[in-house]
Amino acid sequence: MAERRTIESLLSGSTLTGPDRGIDYRPVAVMPDVKVVKIGGQSVLDRGREALFPILDEIIEARRQGIQVVLLAGGGTRARHIYSIASELEVPTGVIATLGKYIPMQNARMLQMLLAKHGGIYMLPDDFEKLPLYLQMGCIPVMSGMPPFGYWEKREAGSRIPPHRTDAGVFLSAEFLGARRALFIKDENGLYTDDPKKNPAAEHIPRITAKELTARGLPDVVVERMVVEYLPRARWCKELQIVNGLVRGQVLAALRGEDVGTIISA
Amino acid sequence: MFGEPMSNVVVGDGRTHIQSKLMRESLQDRSVLSQTESDRDLHIFPDVSLVSIGGQSIFDRGKAAILPLVDELIEIKKDRKLKLVLGVGGGTRVRHTISIALDLGLPVGGIAQLVGAMEELNAILLNTLLAPHGSMPMQRDHFWDLPLYFDAGITPIAISVPPYHFWEPPPLEGHLPMHGSDFGMFQLAEVLAMKQLIFVKDEDGLYDKDPKRHADAKPFRKITLEALMKDLPAENIIDLELFHAWSAAKNLRRVQIVNGLVPGQLTRALRGEDVGTVIVKEAAGG
Repeated sequence: MAERRTIESLLSGSTLTGPDRGIDYRPVAVMPDVKVVKIGGQSVLDRGREALFPILDEIIEARRQGIQVVLLAGGGTRARHIYSIASELEVPTGVIATLGKYIPMQNARMLQMLLAKHGGIYMLPDDFEKLPLYLQMGCIPVMSGMPPFGYWEKREAGSRIPPHRTDAGVFLSAEFLGARRALFIKDENGLYTDDPKKNPAAEHIPRITAKELTARGLPDVVVERMVVEYLPRARWCKELQIVNGLVRGQVLAALRGEDVGTIISA
Repeated sequence: MFGEPMSNVVVGDGRTHIQSKLMRESLQDRSVLSQTESDRDLHIFPDVSLVSIGGQSIFDRGKAAILPLVDELIEIKKDRKLKLVLGVGGGTRVRHTISIALDLGLPVGGIAQLVGAMEELNAILLNTLLAPHGSMPMQRDHFWDLPLYFDAGITPIAISVPPYHFWEPPPLEGHLPMHGSDFGMFQLAEVLAMKQLIFVKDEDGLYDKDPKRHADAKPFRKITLEALMKDLPAENIIDLELFHAWSAAKNLRRVQIVNGLVPGQLTRALRGEDVGTVIVKEAAGG
């Protein structure tokens, strides 16, 4: 029988699964100066102009000051609506993840229309390779926050909802680009001991590690659980910053590197 | 829709909601998430078999291994009732790509973005050989065309590498992407609730250790996923991520590993015979 014709390499013959042996890996950051920023769906966009316009003003100001910003859009109530109906129909998670791509895409397009005169440019998920051009031209690239897993999204025990949604997309984008921090613009001052919308006694947490957060076993958290799980093993993106976009100045302060809101670290 | 009162739009907390069970809810809340769960998924294509042909094990051996397998596929295709989707692995060129990319220090998402091209070369080769008998490369997620393919007697060749691309999550250990082509094939079979997934490799199934290096390696014949997971072989011809994802999954019941160098094994596997290694998963409920 014919032999395998193998190209000699460190991994030739390897099953490509599990730990790799003896590779001197010295990672290179792709675009470490970029600020990867999520604009929340339910928390910001579903509030309309009153919430969104002041946030965009601060982002435009940051860009004017030379800060490189890439915006990623969340989904919000329309995503919840389709998730709810699709779940009733017992549709597999991979199909729900595919449905979940459309709403953040709409939201990204809305953001692009509003930012067009300030350099807003709509970007497809695979367009990271064009990012250097967009940023050197002073653009504000806008894209959907949903990772492109779609039908290939894995099911999580005890849920039909895709575990990787737009928070995961923001974190994974920052991790690929080699950015140290991913910024999430929401409608709360970050993390609380409980959902502050439902429990007025909930207390604010300014800084916490992913490990501490997991150990608290909170019934609810401010970012997707997958992101908290990935954070400790990230190579570049070691911090998540959650700021309140409804408080003037917080977005600009965060973009300038100030520790406002809550910081979750690896 | 128009003319009816917009009673399903809810305002009052500054946000505009649409009435639904998940309205206002945090999708991080376990109790909310569990409401979306049930014992079963809708089964989309339960009578379809997915066959994945190994890169290192078959394609890298060249003509002597590829042509007999193609001849077998041509015979198999004559049964028009059989609904078949093919996929391929990338083999040694994938390993070379990753070796170079790791030496260059590229991030895991960058590596994941690169590897699919190497699988695609094998998909084009396979299609070149099968096209005169009816085959077509299937676009990434054009699953809804599958009934048309089957009606026309065309065998689609699916893309095996999952589209994690730049968003490949940081690996649990090491530096390699966790979501390779075996996992991609699994996920395709799982999300569409296919009848079975068959891996065509160059061994008579799965062994407790690498049979190429250990003369005393023992093959698994028929085993449940649950039993296999208790003592998963460290040297494995299938991506580990497949076993982890399958454990949490609901639909796929049967994964088989056959030897593509032995004529007839694939044909027998497609007939439902227990050749090679058969891994079965018991139904969780419903």
